[in-house]
Amino acid sequence: MPVTSPSNLKEQAELKLKDFLLTMQEFFFFAVRAFSTIPKIKRYWRDVLDQALICGVESIPIVLVSAISIGGLMAMEVGNLLEDFGAKTMLGRSTSNAVLRELGPLLMGLMLAARYGSRNGAELGAMQISEQIDALRAFGTDPIAKLVMPRLVAALLMFFPLVALSDFAGLQTAAFVAEHYHKIDPGIFWNSIYPKLAPKDFVVTFLKAPVFAVIITLVSSFNGFSARGGTAGVGRSTIKGIVASSGLVLVANFYVSKLVLDFMH
Amino acid sequence: MIELRNVTLKYGEKLILDKVSLTVRNNTIKAVLGPSGVGKSTIIKLMLGLIKPNSGQVLVDGVDITPMKEAELYPIRRKMGIVFQGNALFDSMTISQNFSFFLRENLRLPEEEIERRVMEQIRFAGLEGYEEQLPESLSGGMRKRVAIGRALIFNPGTILFDEPTAGLDPVSSKKILNLIADLRKNSNLGAVFVTHIIDDVFAIADETAVLYQGKIIFDDLTGKLHESDHPFICSILSDKILEL
Repeated sequence: MPVTSPSNLKEQAELKLKDFLLTMQEFFFFAVRAFSTIPKIKRYWRDVLDQALICGVESIPIVLVSAISIGGLMAMEVGNLLEDFGAKTMLGRSTSNAVLRELGPLLMGLMLAARYGSRNGAELGAMQISEQIDALRAFGTDPIAKLVMPRLVAALLMFFPLVALSDFAGLQTAAFVAEHYHKIDPGIFWNSIYPKLAPKDFVVTFLKAPVFAVIITLVSSFNGFSARGGTAGVGRSTIKGIVASSGLVLVANFYVSKLVLDFMH
Repeated sequence: MIELRNVTLKYGEKLILDKVSLTVRNNTIKAVLGPSGVGKSTIIKLMLGLIKPNSGQVLVDGVDITPMKEAELYPIRRKMGIVFQGNALFDSMTISQNFSFFLRENLRLPEEEIERRVMEQIRFAGLEGYEEQLPESLSGGMRKRVAIGRALIFNPGTILFDEPTAGLDPVSSKKILNLIADLRKNSNLGAVFVTHIIDDVFAIADETAVLYQGKIIFDDLTGKLHESDHPFICSILSDKILEL
């Protein structure tokens, strides 16, 4: 039967849908197990610290680079636009909305999906391929508690300060560009921000931290655990993890903002 | 004693094991012989409860482990040690950490006792002086010995070996086979080893099961392999190494 015949296509679509639903079901149980092992944190606190160092401290440079570049760019471009309308004094407010609520956490999320997610996917994938995860189970250690839970807890803890750092660096860079490029007095810049800051701005930005932590850690770890087919399989599972977690971070970023802003309007 | 009763296993639509029954008695060395990709390693993973069959039972010391949850399986698994084909050593840990890891994880032992047991296994594996090295710096034979030492860490009754001599040079292979035989002789340990090398079977196995196309086509004393008139067994006895 030709590959493109309608019945064949329908069959393939059904199979893919079935595969997708099965994967979703497995992911759901994987996530439940990861959360249910959090009470074992006392036993694995060293692993949590190790992971906190990897996903937190070691991620500071990449988070700073992305926050500084987006803060500077935003201030430069928005400032040029506002100049046409004679509203340059609004630069602080316009930049802070974009950086604080959206671009700061989003870029941090994408950078960590690439950095932390790829590390998780590759490390756990290699462990799966070399049967180290089976060895853990065979000798009586729960691999989810040992390998996934510490990553999850570390990300949940460390993404908060990283978001704060990303927002802070982004805004400071924007203020620097406003002063030196657009010649806006820093007092005017910051005064257009502070009075307008509302609790919802902080709720939006800090709610994204745990959401991104859960998405990036669980998606990348799940893909690592699902690696099959040698080193090429590790590569495939790592890519899948990064693509899926980056996509989900983008979607979650939109919905968290929308839900919070609708709710706290 | 480990027993598989009418075990059937499928991966998707592919039938891997078809109503396989197999018994491993205490203090015997049992070989599971078969060509590559036939499901030999799967048998070992079934015995440990790492995978579950579609139907049939897996009994360890008379207890059916197939309906057990993961947490219930941990004490059962400690009755057995396993040596994976690729050793599955933790490559970011030193040799002594590879030995001590599961002791710290699973048993509440004083630090001195852990150190004593680790040193015991290091001596057993003949790796004095290599304690702080990473597995990647060891030869294939040494890594295998570390894996065997790790498998002994809980003093199990049976050790499961997945292709114990695969990828080793003839001298290392011989050493590993002698080690398995010595374990039975000196420590009363039973062993199951899956292999595709028939010379290994004749070297140390008391009993042999031959797995072919998902079925056990022979299960008896190793010496009786020559009496079999099954065409597959006749062909492997003449070719010695299975590459089907």
